[in-house]
Amino acid sequence: MAAEVKKGVDTTKNPIPFDLAQYPGPEMAKTYMPKVIAAIIKKAKRPLLVVGAELFDDPIMFDKAIEIGKTGIPIAATAHSVKGFVERGYLDNVYQIGLHPLTSYMRFDDWQGLDGKGPYDVVIYMGIFYKFANGMFSTLKHFKRDIKRVSIDRYYHINANMTFGNMAFDPDDYHAAVEEIIAALKK
Amino acid sequence: MGIRKCFIYFQPTQAAYIKEEEAKNSMATPEGSFSVEDMKNVQINIGAVVKEEEEWDQPMGPFPKPQVATLRNWDYTIMNRYHIMYCPADDTCTLCTYGPCDLTGNQKGACGIDIAGTCGKIVLIAVLMGTCAHTAHGRHLYHWCLDRFGDMKFDMGDEILVDAPLTQTILGIKPKSLKDYGEALEYCEEEIVQLLAATHSGQEGWYQDFESKALHSGMIDSLGKEICDMLQTVAYDMPRGEADAPLVEIGLGTLDQNKGVLIAYGHNLAAGAEAMIYAENQNLWEKVDIGGVCCTAIDLTRITETGRDSKIPKNLGPKAKVAGAMGWWRKMVRSGVMDAVMVDEQCVYCDVLEDCQKRHIPVIATNDKIMLGLPDRTNDPADQIVEDLVSFKMPGVAILDPVKAGEVGIRTAIAVKPKRAQYKQESLLTEAQFKEYLEKCTGCNQCAFVCPPHTSISMMIAEAKKGNLEPFSSSYETCVGCARCEVTCPQEIPILALYEYANREYIKNAKFKMRAGRGPVRDTEIRKVGAPIVLGTIPGVIAIIGCSNYPKGTKECYDIAKEFVDRGYIVVATGCMAMDMSLYKDEEGKTIWEQYGGAFDGRNICNIGSCVANAHIHGAAIKVATIFAHRNHRANYDDIADYILSKVGACGVAWGAFSQKAASIATGFNRLGVPAVVQPHSVIYRRTFMGRADKPEDWQVIDARDGSMQQIEPAPEAMLYIAETKEEAMLEMAKLCFRPSDNAMGRGIKLTHYCDISMKYFGKLPDDWHIFVRDVKDLPLAYQADMMKELEEKHGWKIDWKAKKFISGPLRPADVSFDPTNIPRKIRAKK
Repeated sequence: MAAEVKKGVDTTKNPIPFDLAQYPGPEMAKTYMPKVIAAIIKKAKRPLLVVGAELFDDPIMFDKAIEIGKTGIPIAATAHSVKGFVERGYLDNVYQIGLHPLTSYMRFDDWQGLDGKGPYDVVIYMGIFYKFANGMFSTLKHFKRDIKRVSIDRYYHINANMTFGNMAFDPDDYHAAVEEIIAALKK
Repeated sequence: MGIRKCFIYFQPTQAAYIKEEEAKNSMATPEGSFSVEDMKNVQINIGAVVKEEEEWDQPMGPFPKPQVATLRNWDYTIMNRYHIMYCPADDTCTLCTYGPCDLTGNQKGACGIDIAGTCGKIVLIAVLMGTCAHTAHGRHLYHWCLDRFGDMKFDMGDEILVDAPLTQTILGIKPKSLKDYGEALEYCEEEIVQLLAATHSGQEGWYQDFESKALHSGMIDSLGKEICDMLQTVAYDMPRGEADAPLVEIGLGTLDQNKGVLIAYGHNLAAGAEAMIYAENQNLWEKVDIGGVCCTAIDLTRITETGRDSKIPKNLGPKAKVAGAMGWWRKMVRSGVMDAVMVDEQCVYCDVLEDCQKRHIPVIATNDKIMLGLPDRTNDPADQIVEDLVSFKMPGVAILDPVKAGEVGIRTAIAVKPKRAQYKQESLLTEAQFKEYLEKCTGCNQCAFVCPPHTSISMMIAEAKKGNLEPFSSSYETCVGCARCEVTCPQEIPILALYEYANREYIKNAKFKMRAGRGPVRDTEIRKVGAPIVLGTIPGVIAIIGCSNYPKGTKECYDIAKEFVDRGYIVVATGCMAMDMSLYKDEEGKTIWEQYGGAFDGRNICNIGSCVANAHIHGAAIKVATIFAHRNHRANYDDIADYILSKVGACGVAWGAFSQKAASIATGFNRLGVPAVVQPHSVIYRRTFMGRADKPEDWQVIDARDGSMQQIEPAPEAMLYIAETKEEAMLEMAKLCFRPSDNAMGRGIKLTHYCDISMKYFGKLPDDWHIFVRDVKDLPLAYQADMMKELEEKHGWKIDWKAKKFISGPLRPADVSFDPTNIPRKIRAKK
């Protein structure tokens, strides 16, 4: 059942890694409600939305990413996901880069970002193959702790700072949760 | 993680080394002298010949038998450009009793190690595991081949003179017979011991030095593989680089169900080959079929293709069949096709016995590395062992004598077939059982949580309940066969058995052709393609290697291979990926091996062989340096690696990499200057090497002509790259084939493919194409006008439109005689 946006979706349930055995150590992500995550993103000086190829499995998520992009948050389109943006005619603040090189760059203090305007302070992952995103979050968790790691993917991301609980099998709730974030960002 | 740059490059002169070598030899000579006077009952054993007439026109290079730290400067050269990147799979360390230590955020543990150091240690251990597996395989084959066949002349045929390129480059020796590989094995084993010692608590602690050691281990791994493949190539008379190596049968459907079916599973052909020899000598092929799983499959089908002077029956190889790659094992064992299984070593599932026992398939463990708790029956009479297996008195036995194991395997497969017919039938699901299991599913989705590609098995079951088996069929190749779904299912549904039921027709009809592994690349082939590779007019060498843990299914192997072979790249394949890409046909019903030639040439695809045959891909790169560019490769590893890094446009892809051997293989390629792309599960390997295109200072090289420093484009941009999808992998592979030495035509061709792949799969040109442009002639013709406009408008380049020339903009001008190097001793004349 789709939760109504008005009431808000409880995204704090099911803090279970999508790879069941993926418990790395004492520091584990906390789950947050969409409005809290949106507030953190909104507060960020240099946020970056990072999207992956799983958006092709649920194409409506491209539209949601574009809505976020239109609020002024630049988008790193990893894997071949940039094609989804090309098809929708939205490339205004979309950068084509692999998640691996992007994460590699982000761990260096002197990297100036995809637009050359300085390092990012909040990165938001969405639509990325779980194990891969988890590994890249791990890099930032250990080697670049001043970047806040936020997941608005449908999975509980244990190596993020802020994440939803696992919603992999609740697409309606998940969509509604992302909608809540978009609505809050637009305010 | 702090980064210490290593600036010192030790430059020994070759003359000094030669002098040292001569001194060593002259000192050694008297040790071999002896006189016999009044001696009785004395046995004199002659060991290795200390010195003999050299038949090699190359002087000994600077680094014969490099030790752990000998090539450390080269490693730091790599690591200074390709920054180590870790993605820890575990935030803690539990390797000593102080632990667990929480290392989150790179904090230190009780011993003083930080998370980077711990990752480096784990990486080194993993790479050593792979190196040991290959080297121990070589050691086993060494003893076995000498015992079975006696010493044999090391002869790779008239078209291969650089016949053991890694052995020559690393050790500086030329083996003349199989026995000579003993020296190479001793070297490997000593290095492995030293490297493993460094992982003990209180030993190495600095992450970059762990990685230097891992690179050293990777190099040893490549040598271990070469030893393996050279030994078996000679002993079993395998193809020596024949482009038209025979097409062999692959697929479960090729195994004749009217015969006993013996499966040989693993990587070491010794016992499987003996089974084939026994079947041949006893005229039993009418009663038995032999199918291989994993690399043993490839190596069995390579036996005696060429009819040279061989000590085993001729043309045996094509009589064996390839059942399938390692990832298909659990699906295959559930198909009911097998009657007996022989396992040897490497990549064998730990529950092989349990899987077989449930289905009354006798198991014979043939190698002491995998004994499965089975009784050692090596010294028992074959009759008695066969009787025990065929009567199911015991589920399996260990037989460490390959000859006896081969005989027992064949006799058991034939004799047990009728006896297990009833059990076979019982082990296969009936329609009623299939439906019963479907009904048990509660849709809890626990299976999707543990499935590596996260397949929605509950959805497939829901569809099957409605009578739609298509999702079970279409995801059959996506399933990597790990069986974690079965382990986790609270309803204990045998999910792989459901797959088997739904795909019974496919399994029955799975009949394909694969080109038998052809072994080394010939010197004559290198003479033909050396210049086009270095200049870039052949856009690159794509090496498709490794295991079967694919992120989105087996077909991606075929797609990747087809993309590059169609584009005119030289495509080489090995191991499970070579097998898996055979499972698809074009509109004319041809597999990829039937669609293209098997030469080491553009628009060709070679099956080089099994995992250990990956050494020949290293060998091909070395041969470009030594045959085409006339570099002395003897004991000159870093020089050759430097040449390859700067000039040989090659890139590996391990799209299903799962094992520690895959880690050691990739690390070996990296030390030799060959970048690799891996699949997203590879984050579990923890370490990658990534360049920074935004840091010009990282891309300074020496022009060997005069010693001046030159800025180059970031090529190749990464040394070990994780791609999320096959589309990203293909784009990156095209990019990683760029080299500073490309001429204008070559760069144009490479850029064309890079841009074409991006347009095809990404819908736009890549964002960074412009940094690879040095001259208007570099621009792909199809995009030239638009690109020039973009260079001017977006990137601020100044263009003389009339003359069609860049006035300013490129990082450097194209210069065909540019001779890039990272090694100061290669400077020919100081500026």
